[in-house]
Amino acid sequence: MIYWGGNPAECHPRHFTKYTIMQKGKFVPNGRKGRTMVLVDIRETPSAKAADLFLQIRPGKDFEVLTILRALIKNQRVDSRIAEETGLTLEQLQNLVDRMKNARFGIIFFGMGLSMTRGKHMNSAGVLMLAAEMNAYTKFVAMPMRGHGNVTGSDMVLRWSTGYPFGVNLCRGYPRFNPGEFSTVDLLVRGDIDAALILGADPGATMPQPGIDHLARIPTIVLDPKVTHTSRLARVHITTAATGISAPGTVYRMDEIPLPLRPALKSPYPTDEEVIRRIRELVAKKPAWNETTNGELATV
Amino acid sequence: MTLTIVKNATCTFCGCVCDDIELHADSERIVKTKGACSLGEAWFRNHTAEHLYPDALIDGHPATVDDAVERAAEIMHRANMPLVYGLSNITCEAQREAVTLAEMAGAIIDSHTSL
Repeated sequence: MIYWGGNPAECHPRHFTKYTIMQKGKFVPNGRKGRTMVLVDIRETPSAKAADLFLQIRPGKDFEVLTILRALIKNQRVDSRIAEETGLTLEQLQNLVDRMKNARFGIIFFGMGLSMTRGKHMNSAGVLMLAAEMNAYTKFVAMPMRGHGNVTGSDMVLRWSTGYPFGVNLCRGYPRFNPGEFSTVDLLVRGDIDAALILGADPGATMPQPGIDHLARIPTIVLDPKVTHTSRLARVHITTAATGISAPGTVYRMDEIPLPLRPALKSPYPTDEEVIRRIRELVAKKPAWNETTNGELATV
Repeated sequence: MTLTIVKNATCTFCGCVCDDIELHADSERIVKTKGACSLGEAWFRNHTAEHLYPDALIDGHPATVDDAVERAAEIMHRANMPLVYGLSNITCEAQREAVTLAEMAGAIIDSHTSL
């Protein structure tokens, strides 16, 4: 098991014990003793204590390390000086490749330390390619470490309804997918969009400043259990019941298993589902979009 | 005060979605959690059933949900290229509604995955 650019000991405290290294399985009857755990990160986090092997790479060198690993698994020659630029020696990298090839079933869990640093989407693609190519030698998979409770669910719902997992543009009446062009940070920083509906997120606290400025400039609608930073710069805020605490429904675990929610409280507020449905029903009653009736946002 | 005990409750704080939590709740708040990690416990304690916030706000002023929904529909309908963003802390049922709304409004729909 390889954890890359993530710190589950602090960010997903039960990951090791409930789901991964500590669990006994049909083919791993000894649990932790039957597994090798490798941590790849730019600094020694508390998760390193749980690892058999900790590989500290230089910040921003994830893509280079992944590319060298992909070369080494195919026995291609790699210059040791190029390898050393990543913060690891060629021997360390070859050792990792040997361990990966000797595994009966390997997995790479990758976190935001990989997907949000230099290289971004290309780093994620690199991990997925590495896992795919390892299947020429043994069974190998990759899985992102998801931060939010139902971010996997949004990938699933968008996939089965539009064919793409995120950043889907439905502007032309059919889905188009292009991370970097139709992803939120880029859209906001470029100022491409002319209205925003924010559902259970707080971009007003987390986006780069030019993006926040754009959210304040356009009519923004927020649905959230609390009045957030984004609510304060929005035209419309609607308070909704908290998912899983007072709102029922289904969420997906990061390994794509759907689970039912069992709320313990009754909220005085409507659920997100109910409010979005009501907005949708009102939009459905309005005439179809055309250039003469739409587009004059200043009058809203 | 009678306590409601919910067994095998599901925690939606992080992507682990642990579904073996026991919650003890009175009518307003969760008073005890069993089996949750420190992050999960903070999550369950953080949300209550109290009416702490206004039902809705329009331009920063308290408003009814009906008016806010009306205004939201008007904005989504008028926009040339609206964005529907977030999705990561709402249920799949709500996400389905959001996709339908996005399709109807000709929107771009995106989640935290793109970060």
